[in-house]
Amino acid sequence: MKSSAKWLRLMIVFALPVLAGGCATVRPWDRDLLAEKRMRFIPNPMLHGIDEHIYFSKEASMGGQDVSGGGCGCN
Amino acid sequence: MASPCTVLIDTDDRDAAAALVEIAAREALRIERKFSRYRTDNLIHEINHAAGRPIAVDEETAQLINYAATCWEMSGGLFDVTSGVLRRVWTFDGGRRVPERTAIEQCLESVGWQRVTWRDRTLSMPSGMEIDLGGIGKEYAVDRVAGLLAARTTESFLANFGGDVYAGGPRRGNRTWGVGIDDPSRTGKAALYRLDVARAGLATSGDARRYVRWKGKRLGHLLNPKTGWPVADAPRSVTVVARTCLEAGTLSTLAYLQGPGARAFLEEQKVQFWIL
Amino acid sequence: MQLEPTEQTEPRESAEPASSSSALRERLSAAALALLLAPAAAMADSAATTQIDYTTLFYGEQGRTQVFEPIVRATRLFGDGQSISAQLGIDVITGSSPSGALPSGSVQTVTSPSGRDITVPAGQIPLTKFEDHRFGLDGEWQKPWGSFFTSTVGAHVSREKDYQSLGLNAKVSADLMQRMVTVTVGGGYNDDSVFPVGGTPIGLSDGSEVSKGANSKRVKSVLFGVSRVLTRRWILSVDGTRTFERGYLTEPYKVISLVSPFNGLPVGQLTDNRPSSRTRSSALLSSVYHLRNDIIYTSYRYYWDTWSVRSNTIDLKYRHDLREGWYFEPHVRYYRQGAASFYTIGLSTQLAPPEYATADYRLGRLTTLTIGADFGFRVGDNPSQWTLRAEYIRQKGDGLDPNADGVQSSFDPSPAINTVTAVIGYSFNF
Repeated sequence: MKSSAKWLRLMIVFALPVLAGGCATVRPWDRDLLAEKRMRFIPNPMLHGIDEHIYFSKEASMGGQDVSGGGCGCN
Repeated sequence: MASPCTVLIDTDDRDAAAALVEIAAREALRIERKFSRYRTDNLIHEINHAAGRPIAVDEETAQLINYAATCWEMSGGLFDVTSGVLRRVWTFDGGRRVPERTAIEQCLESVGWQRVTWRDRTLSMPSGMEIDLGGIGKEYAVDRVAGLLAARTTESFLANFGGDVYAGGPRRGNRTWGVGIDDPSRTGKAALYRLDVARAGLATSGDARRYVRWKGKRLGHLLNPKTGWPVADAPRSVTVVARTCLEAGTLSTLAYLQGPGARAFLEEQKVQFWIL
Repeated sequence: MQLEPTEQTEPRESAEPASSSSALRERLSAAALALLLAPAAAMADSAATTQIDYTTLFYGEQGRTQVFEPIVRATRLFGDGQSISAQLGIDVITGSSPSGALPSGSVQTVTSPSGRDITVPAGQIPLTKFEDHRFGLDGEWQKPWGSFFTSTVGAHVSREKDYQSLGLNAKVSADLMQRMVTVTVGGGYNDDSVFPVGGTPIGLSDGSEVSKGANSKRVKSVLFGVSRVLTRRWILSVDGTRTFERGYLTEPYKVISLVSPFNGLPVGQLTDNRPSSRTRSSALLSSVYHLRNDIIYTSYRYYWDTWSVRSNTIDLKYRHDLREGWYFEPHVRYYRQGAASFYTIGLSTQLAPPEYATADYRLGRLTTLTIGADFGFRVGDNPSQWTLRAEYIRQKGDGLDPNADGVQSSFDPSPAINTVTAVIGYSFNF
């Protein structure tokens, strides 16, 4: 329970700057830069997968932007 | 399509209307996905990132490129699908910032249909150049949707994709479709004129919100690919009625690119038009 | 007619304007009709394409584990925005990893859970040798629904000598507020089994008694994410995940030294034993910023779980594009975690063993620093993309414990592990 409440609180603190207004709408015709492939959070999913796999096997943490990927006997 | 798209069908049959609208939406989305330069998974992206390599295109893309090439030729090079690169330096937010001359000159090195090799359905252009079919894509989508609807219903309909319109036949009781033309300074709020059309394409070019102010002049977002500067002293909005939406859109854009000569240009074309 | 700056250069060469305007309109009409009357059959979706990505990972820990992992992925992109991909990866793992036992002042013999005796030189931490292959198969199907929703469904199967994982996952993204905001909700379920070589030892025992058969481990996870376009050049995202693990979460091959309270020498060992449930949570804040030509990727993650592990991760990447397909991207990552509540470097023979205990350094306090770079390039006119990555990873545990018993205070139970990784990637479309 305690952990849940904390999770929620942290999400709210994080989410505020993201959701809060005050940012002008970026018009469709100004989205040329945003449309580039390299403007994605994970531009290369395969390299990202390799990273996740390495750190999962060496560290006690996990979690990010994904719920995919399978378990591994490495940890 | 980056703007509200509506399809109206004059019928009492709700289910039939829903089915027709579904067909229209699917076609509009298809064209958007295929020709948007804001996507990374289509042929336009491949062409724009080919880095000098020739790209073979499909029949539909080839037809659109042919059309764009015809427009370029007939406009003396003013209508140019490669001029989108200039938008990297121009920001039309109603402010007063204009780019450095060197920045514009640098951009102009990547602009010009004459640098593109287009033959046998294969397109190649120097690295750094881009094409953008957005200038004709929306009108093309309206006409395509109109074609699909006309093949499936005898009822009257109206397709309006962000101001690019096709009216498909007189409404019941021989009434016409009323289309309002916005006051350019109050887009979406006040219609200045009402046009009555039965079967026609209609399109507007204008600078409602996309302009910069420079030396007391208002410069709209359509750029002259030869100078790299916006067209000066252009009308606030040009609306043209023609047989198809594509023709209407092309004529209004060409007229707008003439700047103060827009009226004379359209008078010569003998089309119905409104200039504000 | 057009506004031109005063010192404007000569207009570029261009086609001659049409001589007569009525001719112009006629040609325009003809061209428009040619385009619009083209047969509907020609107006198919943009052609489907297939992309093949091939990468190979070389992973080498100094004196420990070596991994060689080739992966191939095929993605079919359809004109309507759908895509289907399948990925096959094979890990070949060889080398050794710390058993969890402590170093000793003299040569010691430790017994691995599989019953083998290993002789360990004085002052060195005992390692267990192992060798394994892992086969993993992943599939994914992505589909847009209308213009605002996208769904992704995935499945996973992997198999090792002593581990099997079966998983399903799904997520839905919605574009809101004129595509300024994207909200993603997802979930996953994994049904894993652990079947240790030589049987499963009883937790906190000497490891001589084992139970046969597979142990189950079920993992459920949920994801909630919001990303937002802040400006023409900046996107920010916040993502939270929660993962519920239930079942056999112990490391069957890890042990904990039993230490004499008088001289601190290891006199025996007990097997690892961890709780059968663990709830993990993470909150990630990430940003992508477009400079004039370059891109900066930054992210910060806070992680916590019900085993009392807490961690902070900071990740920074800077991408500099030289020309189409050519880029250089340096990368730094810093990670620091606190220990699990039941982590210990050794157990005293004097005291009764606790309910749960582990000496696995990965549940102790540790820091990981990664420095590396990616380099993308093309060969000649070929549009295929090559990627090279080289990274150096330095991982360091808690270090010396001055309060440890006897000789243990002079040994480092978790010396730094230096790892070098190299990845070569090759992608092409057809």
